[in-house]
Amino acid sequence: MREVTATILENKKIADEVYSLTFATEEEIPVRAGQFCMIGVSGHALRRPIAVCKAESERITVCYRLKGEGTRKLASDYKPGEKLSVLLPLGNGFTLSDGQKKIALVGGGVGIFPLISAIREFSQNKELYAYMGFRNRAAVCMESELQRTSRFVVATDDGSAGYHGTAVQAFLDEFDTVKPDAVLACGPTPMLRALKEATKDKNIPVYVSLEERMGCGIGACLVCVCGKKDGSRARVCKDGPVFEASEVEL
Amino acid sequence: MADLSVTLCGKQLKNPVIPASGTFGFGREFDEIYDISVLGGVCTKGLTLERRVGNPVPRIAESRGVILNAVGLQNPGVEKFIAEDLEWLKSKTTVIANVAGSTLSDYAKICAKLDGLVDFVELNISCPNVKCGGMAFGIKPESIREVSRAAKENLQKTPLIVKLSPNVESIAANAIAAQEGGADCISLVNTFTGMAIDIEKRKPIIANNTGGVSGAGIKPIAVRMVYEAAQAVHIPVIGMGGITCAEDAIEFLMAGADAVQVGTQNFTDTLACPKIIEGLNAWCDSHGVQKISELVGTLKLN
Repeated sequence: MREVTATILENKKIADEVYSLTFATEEEIPVRAGQFCMIGVSGHALRRPIAVCKAESERITVCYRLKGEGTRKLASDYKPGEKLSVLLPLGNGFTLSDGQKKIALVGGGVGIFPLISAIREFSQNKELYAYMGFRNRAAVCMESELQRTSRFVVATDDGSAGYHGTAVQAFLDEFDTVKPDAVLACGPTPMLRALKEATKDKNIPVYVSLEERMGCGIGACLVCVCGKKDGSRARVCKDGPVFEASEVEL
Repeated sequence: MADLSVTLCGKQLKNPVIPASGTFGFGREFDEIYDISVLGGVCTKGLTLERRVGNPVPRIAESRGVILNAVGLQNPGVEKFIAEDLEWLKSKTTVIANVAGSTLSDYAKICAKLDGLVDFVELNISCPNVKCGGMAFGIKPESIREVSRAAKENLQKTPLIVKLSPNVESIAANAIAAQEGGADCISLVNTFTGMAIDIEKRKPIIANNTGGVSGAGIKPIAVRMVYEAAQAVHIPVIGMGGITCAEDAIEFLMAGADAVQVGTQNFTDTLACPKIIEGLNAWCDSHGVQKISELVGTLKLN
């Protein structure tokens, strides 16, 4: 966990309302798949928590959707060469055991980006099956990264590209053929809820990466909590963002 | 190199900069980023007698120049803090335990548990008083006097700080009430009650509907209130509300604060407090100030 001033290398639109921001840190900061960073936007007291999509030595790429004033400003005002205040790497990230060989990745919307980092980390040693959901053809991105998997399915809500339906449906359609050892998922809460419900009798671990409005991003302020099965609260930023789906309330 | 040390209730702090309650946990997470022993002190997350799970999420929202929060006092309970975090935190810096309760007896009991163990107890009196129909202890002078007294009677060794709410009729009257109740020091301001609305959903962003407003945008109001309170009492004052840099902290010192707390800025920049400490030193050096405490209450009105 480091507070750094990074230099922006690129900040460009890659799909409808989605931007890819690459910055360089002065020295290499190891980032694991599924970890995130907090990015400062001038004039805003709160930083934006954004998942790391790619970490290649000191070059780090995050992707974000234009959602509110902060992300719009990030897209319009931050140009290559400028400085960026970043806190990273944050959170636990995805962990797989050696015995988990066949991994299904289920992502929706901006939830696909932390899964791209998982593809980059695990594609050497695991067999990966990716099911990525988008609103429509204009939202589809990262196809070159998805090529690193054994198989990938693009699903669109309106059927304008690939599978007509959700990423969860596409995943379930192939479940019995693929027979994954574990699932990594990230996306809107209703999607994760549907995935949790659909997999509860399948006897495989499902690891979900959660999103929540955050304060400090390092576990101190107790703003971004989620409910656990035992009634306690876990911090999404520090204890997560990755949890086993059966352990948390969605 | 200026002398940044300040004395509060006979205890020396190495500098006047203290992270505010609720923004810093018990210090462990920030200590992974910098050595928190550089701080004048740490004010802990609000503690209650029993563990509390807090409010539903979302617990935070942003508005121009400010944030709103409604965490709802989630904490592991005072016993767990004493057992697991206190010794470590004391080895780092001065410890101010922020405490809250729903009844006078809660405040009395939690103070008794912490007496002699921590350097200061700071009373959060913005919580609803269950015996007074849910109105916060910190609104009326009478209840401020009463809760301060209940706390003070159980603090034989540890000085009492009463943290004042700004959502009141007269901050001066409430400061005096705390002093009369036995407070050794007051701190202010706590957050202003506010609301931020998601206009697409026509709903408040925060699950609790309302939240406490903090951050740079509240600073002028906080400085005015610190000035008014400091004029009204003879006990020390800790000022806070929207401090983002050393210059902001100096405004509070000049308005009459003996030390300051920094809250929201810890979210904007995890290194905020050490940067403010360095900035205070640089400002003192460039202004020929040898001892920072010389600045306290030096405001000259027009």
